[in-house]
Amino acid sequence: MVLSRRQQLQVLLEATVGPLVKVHFQPTSNLTLEYPCVVYELDTMVTTHADNRPYTVRDRYQVTTITQNVDSDLRHKIAALPMTAHSRHFQSGYLNHDVFNLYF
Amino acid sequence: MPKLAWDAIGDRIFEAGVSKGVLYVQDANGTYPLGVPWNGLTAVTESPSGAESNKHYADNIQYLNLISAEEFSGTIEAFTSPIEFDQCDGAATPRVGVSVQQQTRRSFAFCYRTELGNDIESTDYGYKLHLVWGAKAAPSEKSRSTINENTEPLALSWEFSTTPHPVTGLKPTAHIIIDSTQVEAADLTALEDKLYGDATTGVSKMPTPDEVIAIFAP
Repeated sequence: MVLSRRQQLQVLLEATVGPLVKVHFQPTSNLTLEYPCVVYELDTMVTTHADNRPYTVRDRYQVTTITQNVDSDLRHKIAALPMTAHSRHFQSGYLNHDVFNLYF
Repeated sequence: MPKLAWDAIGDRIFEAGVSKGVLYVQDANGTYPLGVPWNGLTAVTESPSGAESNKHYADNIQYLNLISAEEFSGTIEAFTSPIEFDQCDGAATPRVGVSVQQQTRRSFAFCYRTELGNDIESTDYGYKLHLVWGAKAAPSEKSRSTINENTEPLALSWEFSTTPHPVTGLKPTAHIIIDSTQVEAADLTALEDKLYGDATTGVSKMPTPDEVIAIFAP
């Protein structure tokens, strides 16, 4: 079975963070998250034009690492992925969030 | 005669875009027998030059104003180029996949299309076909940079100069423009069948300027 690009990203993220960290794509609101985890969602599509039409279209995902431990290296694992840039860090309650933009 | 009016409905005409680039590499006979699509075309900049004023004075007045010949050159910008263009860009291919640079550059012809729009039909109003003969590409800079979080495709560009092609009854030229809003549709189809190939022969070629003009003969 041929995996979609999004499914390939899922595999990549799971391989990057290891088996102890759950990776969720656009989780529903009734899902109870266990920390640390990675949550990602489709953010936008970036289009480059040529020949009067879209020539390349790439998906940009927003990937968020959520940890209770601010010293967790989870964010560094995501930051090391190609075509990834850290966007911001914020704390919500006792949870640390690091948000990345990832093109895949 | 009615009074002059500006910007009437339907008269607000503009040009936009560039697409349908086709490359024709010159063969040993000086013709352009085989067209190949040029994908990823992003811009064609036309840079005509010459036609410079050369004033001569006599009897204490400006006696003559001679105008020098015009030259046509420009720049093609794209994300890629057809493999056939390599020989026009100074590359030889002694083995498949091996590209040896700094070789003799072959001449090429080129055609591309720009859209004509107006305030009623937008860019469906019509289009112009631009036909260029006798072009030679100059070495151009290619700036390679790292892949980062938002990698854009490498933008390539090639400057070209041209040698005008003879035209019966007119001065030699390297550039002819066909306006779809002013020519017969059947004639335009006949030209496009030559430029892009038709369903029967599947062969595309760049006709000479005389052949192009003959297609649109009344």
